[in-house]
Amino acid sequence: MGAVRAEFLKVKRSLSWVVVLLLPVALVLVGTVNTVVSGERPEEGWHTLWLRSVVLYGLFPLTVGIGVLASLVWRVEHRGGNWNALMGGPTPALRIVAAKAAVVSALAAAMQGVMLAAVVLAGKLVFALPGLPPGRYVLISAVIAAACVPVAVLQSGLSMLMRSFAAPVAMAFLGAAGAIVLLMLGAGAAASALPYALVGRATQLGTGTFADTGALTLGGAASIAGAAALLTGVLIAASALLLDRTDARA
Amino acid sequence: MPDIVTTDRLAKRYREHPVVHDLDLRIPEGCVYGFLGPNGSGKSTTMKMLLGLVRPSSGEIRIGGRPMRRSTRRELLGGIGSLIETPPGYGHLTGRENMRLVQRLLGLGDGQVARAVRTVRLQDHLDKKVRAYSLGMKQRLGIAMALAREPRLLILDEPTNGLDPAGIEEIRGLLRRLAGDGVTVMVSSHLLGEIDRTATVLGILGGGRLLFQGTRAELFARSAPDVLIDTPDPAYAHSLLSGGFESRLDGTSVRLAGLDDRATAKAVAHLVGAGVDVHGVRRGERSLEDVFMDLTGGGGL
Repeated sequence: MGAVRAEFLKVKRSLSWVVVLLLPVALVLVGTVNTVVSGERPEEGWHTLWLRSVVLYGLFPLTVGIGVLASLVWRVEHRGGNWNALMGGPTPALRIVAAKAAVVSALAAAMQGVMLAAVVLAGKLVFALPGLPPGRYVLISAVIAAACVPVAVLQSGLSMLMRSFAAPVAMAFLGAAGAIVLLMLGAGAAASALPYALVGRATQLGTGTFADTGALTLGGAASIAGAAALLTGVLIAASALLLDRTDARA
Repeated sequence: MPDIVTTDRLAKRYREHPVVHDLDLRIPEGCVYGFLGPNGSGKSTTMKMLLGLVRPSSGEIRIGGRPMRRSTRRELLGGIGSLIETPPGYGHLTGRENMRLVQRLLGLGDGQVARAVRTVRLQDHLDKKVRAYSLGMKQRLGIAMALAREPRLLILDEPTNGLDPAGIEEIRGLLRRLAGDGVTVMVSSHLLGEIDRTATVLGILGGGRLLFQGTRAELFARSAPDVLIDTPDPAYAHSLLSGGFESRLDGTSVRLAGLDDRATAKAVAHLVGAGVDVHGVRRGERSLEDVFMDLTGGGGL
């Protein structure tokens, strides 16, 4: 736990929080403005608003956002003597990798929290929708947060291996593009093996878009969470193995 | 004294390019080991291998008698503090927050952190962001971060690099205090003067090879100072001697290199036999710098 607590201290005063706040708010704004400009009312209330902001968010901004967060979290380690200090210390590679992934995942989860809050605010303030969004969106948000974890681990691993800030982010973008293709083909099962596609599927849960059936079942949610857990385990182990075998720059 | 660090034919090659050759280091416990060599002689690479940051191409490293391998590395690193190349530190955090990071990461007590901070005399600057620190303060913070775990061995790569004379003196004093507390310190420099008076054992690296390893006294003994012969006609004396000796003109004297006492007597007898007046025969002053220059072929100083 010490390594995780240390990592959370490092994101104090970090730019990461700006990303966590601005990215979901911007996406909800886009969804809202699109609806207002088209002159329609959200016909199906909360569902329409959710569809227009969260599904779009899941197509690529979310993945790219996680990529940026992972690069921000690792950037400090690639600076000055931090890499040598971290790798020259007694903390095992597995704990370093897991702690970093935990922070990126937590930031992604916070982003989902902001998303949910922004949808509620837009629904109430702009469209004066009745009541609160159905509880299913809280469950879907939890599934999205879980599906973000393997993406966070993968992006954290890429940003660990690459000193470049932009290269891993570009890979997140490409991954998201590949995921869209997979999901458009309706290859749901194949999508579970690609973290970028899994998170896309999670954001489409219960909306009937792409490969989704439109029905929110506990089994469907559980299968995404299960795939996320499996991918997380594999990716963390692989990252730790790689980190252990990587030489410091000469 | 047992050796806390030993290496056996330690070598590193990058592709086919050798950086470190067959290094047999012996670092006695409790000493300040001055690791000297010109820039690019392989000091940093060697230190990184000692810390497991870089995998050796061949050879073996033992720390406290135990082999340093991937499997034992993290455990052994618990007893080693290090500062390699640029000092660590998170610029957006204060000094205190940086120390707290180390404390959390390694599960250390408040006392250990406070002692480390006091040792480097940084206690009055902890609330400043590290970004605003001077280089000397960053170095001291880096050393405090390495010291907090109370290591038996401290490996410092060029800790005085870029510091002003006061900062260099501060680090020297720190190294002496640490050695006094029983910590073994391995410290590298490309400038002999920076660690000359602090180090008790010296290892001199040139072109990736260990040119010398031993105490200062042993280093001096290894090459006798030049013999200077004062004479009214040094040019003539030089012409007489240059056949049998390594001789050159040095002002009003003839300077002969690599002479032991018998050879000195022979040279003097030769001059006197040829009717040259000899006014004085003395050994030249020889600084550690000269010895270092000889060993490294004058590179990089």
